[in-house]
Amino acid sequence: MQVYVAGKGIITAIGNNVAETLQSFRKSKSGISHITILPTVHAGTLPAGEVKFTNEQLAELAQLPASVSRTGLFSLIAAREAINDANIPHLNKWRVGFISANTVGGMDHTENIFKAFHEDHTKADLSDVEQHDSGAVTGIVAEKLGIKDFVTTISTACSSSANSIMYGARLIKNNLADVIIAGGTDALCRFTLNGFNSLMILDDRPCTPYDENRKGLNLGEGAGYVVLVSEKVAETLPKKPSAKLVGYANANDAFHQTASSPEGKGNFLAMTGALAMSGLPHEAIDYINLHGTGTLNNDVSESIAIQRVFGMNVPKMSSTKAFTGHTLGACAGVEAVFSIIAMEEGMIFPNLRWQTQMKEVPFKPVTELMTGVEVNHVMSNSFGFGGNCSSLIFSKIK
Amino acid sequence: MLYINGTVCISPQNTSDNSVFLPEVKPYTGNKIYCVDVDYTKFFDPGSIRRMGRLIKFGTAAGMLTLKDAGVETPGAISTGTGYGLMDVSQKFLHNVIDSNETSVSPTSFIQSTHNTVSSNIALMSGCHAHNNTFAHRGFSFESSLLDAFLLAKEGYDNILVGAYDEVSDHSYRSMKRLGLLREEPCTNTELFTAEQKGTIAGEAAAFFLLSKEKNENTYGAFAGCKTFSAPANADELKSITTAFLSANNLSANELDVVVSGHCGDSRLDALNEALIDSLFTQQTILVYKQLCGEYMTSSAFAAWLAARIMKLQSIPETLIKVNRQRQPKNILLYNSHRGNHALLLFKHV
Repeated sequence: MQVYVAGKGIITAIGNNVAETLQSFRKSKSGISHITILPTVHAGTLPAGEVKFTNEQLAELAQLPASVSRTGLFSLIAAREAINDANIPHLNKWRVGFISANTVGGMDHTENIFKAFHEDHTKADLSDVEQHDSGAVTGIVAEKLGIKDFVTTISTACSSSANSIMYGARLIKNNLADVIIAGGTDALCRFTLNGFNSLMILDDRPCTPYDENRKGLNLGEGAGYVVLVSEKVAETLPKKPSAKLVGYANANDAFHQTASSPEGKGNFLAMTGALAMSGLPHEAIDYINLHGTGTLNNDVSESIAIQRVFGMNVPKMSSTKAFTGHTLGACAGVEAVFSIIAMEEGMIFPNLRWQTQMKEVPFKPVTELMTGVEVNHVMSNSFGFGGNCSSLIFSKIK
Repeated sequence: MLYINGTVCISPQNTSDNSVFLPEVKPYTGNKIYCVDVDYTKFFDPGSIRRMGRLIKFGTAAGMLTLKDAGVETPGAISTGTGYGLMDVSQKFLHNVIDSNETSVSPTSFIQSTHNTVSSNIALMSGCHAHNNTFAHRGFSFESSLLDAFLLAKEGYDNILVGAYDEVSDHSYRSMKRLGLLREEPCTNTELFTAEQKGTIAGEAAAFFLLSKEKNENTYGAFAGCKTFSAPANADELKSITTAFLSANNLSANELDVVVSGHCGDSRLDALNEALIDSLFTQQTILVYKQLCGEYMTSSAFAAWLAARIMKLQSIPETLIKVNRQRQPKNILLYNSHRGNHALLLFKHV
């Protein structure tokens, strides 16, 4: 059973939709900037991939009340674009699911009301209290989309939305569902900004993944979803799907709560597992969308694991987090959309701001935008806290 | 069908020791109840025990004890669910961020705050490099991990550790209070169902299951099916969903012996459970359980632990029985709901 990608939708610091995102890639325009929307004392010092819309503006875009968490607003905007893009005839005659992912849920609201709420529980708005947990955000969006058959939320830190895409594909392969909107969402909030800052893994400049002199990551925000469909649904589509999800694997590093093992065991298992399922030889991969956060630890473990999987003949690769920042629970959904854009447009995105070769590995990422390239198979990596490592492989349908 | 070859539950009752089965109910005063701690020094060093959030301790311990109960060192995969996640350490971190105006923040609580902390802790301690998932979808969190396990079994995995866990945190307790879900104090858990009343009590627990394709001498019974659905429009719709679920599993209502119902003690909410029982289950023994663990998003995992123990021992502790129809507990149905998330789980004695 094949799983086709029938549609995609996205919102990040480099665009509110797929078309704007593509424009930013064409111009190699980064979305990393000073924080202007999130109220934080770090606004002037820690750059981020912030979506430059207030909650009120996002609510208008999403056609939701502004009382919905920013995480939910992003989610609906991107999921709706994906569904419209897929344009599935008679969508409601199929078994449809919404498998989302996030790490913060409604934390952006919780942190605003927290102090008052903990002094007097009657002080908080009911809706702020209601949407704290991760599932609440998914529930609001599913209801707005009219999806009832399968709705759930995965939260495995930075690999969350890779696992939601996997879960969606498995529901289709096991004939439990026909159409799954899968991906993830996360909003910037003081909780994560201060968390990563306290771990001293945030760069105070725009981040430089895979560079010898990298200092850490920049956080980002947004959402990315793909519409996965069965063969039966694919046959009914007015627009032929451009890609298939041909391989995936979820593995655990089982090494440390927040750090990757030096040899990248989990990363290695995720990549080799996804390759094995796809049946592709490793030489077939044309592009790796790296997890590439820009932290000392991640980039070394990931690149050593890549070397173990691919040997000396590594594919072209880049981290698009230099464009968007690290969107946490959304990143694999966002980067799945990027992977499909790469194949559709014959484009490989540059690893912006890269200057110096890492001493641990002999290869470097793509540093200038490449166009007119044949990109048939893309691997997308997502690794997170708790050793959760997942890799996805998409193939172009010619 | 997957066999339950190991299970352990840590809850507000003495449930972590499988050599006994609820000989008595621990009474608590007030509208929130907390787990009975186990000896965490078996799992963590004393320094980390002090730094760790409660849910990480009792969640991880329940998972590790389940592996021990099943005699499995390293599971084939891990999939768990949690409604609120690590709320206690999250709120500790939030206090730190807000009180220091983001200037003097310690990473200790942040590191522990991601939803996958318990699943990954168990992976780390059991050396499990395989599939590792954590669902965080309110009343579907446990059921999603169960479905994950059913899919994994079809995909070639075996000895899959599933479970669910939630804790009473200050934040979740206040939230339940704000939402008007809690019973007015004074109250006690032992009187949750004694009269028509409003509100429930906040609770917590962690329950894990080692699921295998083959049965063995430690098998408790089997998970035979699971269905999740959003709030039915009325009792008739609930009845037809339940009937369809049973027939999809080749059972009629009459063939069920025991129905475990997620009555929460709020008679307004329990009316739907009552209607289902009155319309379909007049010949079955009816059990209720939230007087033991309280109400929380993943309480169906606690009820699944009860079902597993009942199947293995073929006897039912007195304290659970709402209506006794003297049936041997072979086929057991669990119906539970949590604020719009409804679930049916089917268990079979083997």
